Amino acid sequence: MFGRIQNSRAAKLRTGLILIVPSCVLLALINLYPFFYALYLSFHRYNLARVAKGAKFIGFGNYGAAFSDPRFINSIVRTFIIVIAAVAIEFVLGFAMAFVLNSKLRGMNTIRKIAIAPVTVMPVVSALIWFYILNQRYGIVNWGLGLVGISAQPWLTDPTLATLSIIIADVWQWTPFIMLVILAGLNALPEYAYEAAQIDGLSEWQQFKWVTLPLLMPVILIVVLLRIMDAFKLFDLPYVMTQGGPAGTTETLSYYIYIQAFQFFEIGKAAAFAIIMLLMIWIISQVFVRRLYKEEEATAA
Amino acid sequence: MELEQYHFEEAEKAKKAVREAQVAQQRQKYGMLTKVVLYAFALIFLLFSLVPIYLIVSSSFKTDTQIFAIPPVFVFKPTLDNYRIALTGGTSQVSYVINSLVVSIASTIIAVIFGAMAAYGLARFEFKGKNDLAFWILSTRMAPPIAFIVPMFVLIKSMGLLDTWWALIIMYTGMNLSFSIWILRGFFLDIPPELEESALVDGYTRLQVFTRIALPLVKPALAAVAVFSLIFSWNEFLFALILTQSHSKTIPVGIQGFSSSMGINWGPFMAVAFVAILPILIFTFIMQRYLVRGLTFGAVK
Repeated sequence: MFGRIQNSRAAKLRTGLILIVPSCVLLALINLYPFFYALYLSFHRYNLARVAKGAKFIGFGNYGAAFSDPRFINSIVRTFIIVIAAVAIEFVLGFAMAFVLNSKLRGMNTIRKIAIAPVTVMPVVSALIWFYILNQRYGIVNWGLGLVGISAQPWLTDPTLATLSIIIADVWQWTPFIMLVILAGLNALPEYAYEAAQIDGLSEWQQFKWVTLPLLMPVILIVVLLRIMDAFKLFDLPYVMTQGGPAGTTETLSYYIYIQAFQFFEIGKAAAFAIIMLLMIWIISQVFVRRLYKEEEATAA
Repeated sequence: MELEQYHFEEAEKAKKAVREAQVAQQRQKYGMLTKVVLYAFALIFLLFSLVPIYLIVSSSFKTDTQIFAIPPVFVFKPTLDNYRIALTGGTSQVSYVINSLVVSIASTIIAVIFGAMAAYGLARFEFKGKNDLAFWILSTRMAPPIAFIVPMFVLIKSMGLLDTWWALIIMYTGMNLSFSIWILRGFFLDIPPELEESALVDGYTRLQVFTRIALPLVKPALAAVAVFSLIFSWNEFLFALILTQSHSKTIPVGIQGFSSSMGINWGPFMAVAFVAILPILIFTFIMQRYLVRGLTFGAVK
């Protein structure tokens, strides 16, 4: 009897291993290996254009170079500006739109189904179509501005406006995502909370502040953190719309690392930059995953 | 059994009636002014979401003169010239479409099969460090792609796989695998364990429980994960840009090729862009039910 239980436990473990190991091997190859190789490269001077010279160990040299490189610092600042502005606008608009849709007025359901279209549009396509829309000469935005008497703006060549153009394209693509998730959160709110609030005689605003918002908080945190992490990697939009210009105002971290690696071929430096970027995202993702597990435990309990 | 079914239907009908009554009540709550404001906001948002897509679709049937016309032309005689150029011109897009299809489908199939296995393993088997493993799997998807492409480029180059389908299939499988594990794990956790326990008592092995009981129950989720994986790989730009040169270029890289220092070849771009986003838009529309769960990595249902 005892033997059989042990046997079945071993069998269970074996089945578990058979199921999990193939994926782990694959992910280790595609993820763990490059991570450690990047770590290795980050301590070496290694130029892809001079492979014969090989990799030369220089300790923390590349990390030191990173923080004395004004272009690297600039790319961090630019990334933060774009991430914070874009996600803030996306959140405000998406949040408002979720509440509008949640009014359940006639037609709102159809509007929701259509309004999410931008979410899955190929990012290269959204970059180019916004490049077309914002074109100084034939773009419809400047045509629209002309109708109300505002002169044509150099959307993609002015430093401030170029940043704004990238933000607009990102807002266009991702606001519906926040809208959709907040709406799902709103629909999942328990009715009894509102019944209690009504019995207590809370006003609409008080209900929003004391019932809706706290109950919605986990969903808000998740969607904002997902957006922050995703926007942090922004590459396609600046690559296609502005090539990081004008004067580096739209040069994001991903874009600058790309330049270091594949235009200057400084693989070692690029790896060090990437490790620093990884560290920044890791800190954000830790907050997210911890929170997620807390949620899971809370619902399980 | 029939009686039970009857009761079930009756209960569903009653629930639906209550819900409709609530919606009607909620609709009455709003004054005329509020309704106007809500609809105005929703319609402006809808316009913002749809204008770029409308421009792609309509411009793809326009002549170059019409594409650059200010004010924009809304009524015109559609032409298929742009599609003809995209198909047969100097930069034929056909091979890009084939490459995109091959790498998307191959990486999706591998990711869904291995992903389902690992997800079930994580959902149903207990072992030390399970949560850490799940963390790690999620983190591989959250990490910035640029950090991994630098070392992977060196590896793929040394293996002689640059500019082949394999390079992209490897990278996209990694990306989609962690996604599918994480999402499917949530779906497996949603299945009441009693079903599987009774199958075990009936003499099924654990592997049989997985293939004959658990897998059929999550069929819709498998389809959703497959669709999401297809969309991710279909739209991906950074890896494709770095790992392909001519033979294995995918659609996003091909589309980017329409812009050059000479300007952008707008007509054919619009045609290819429409072809590139149409299947994705249809998929997204069909997958509405799973959109929130998929886009939030299962964090919001």
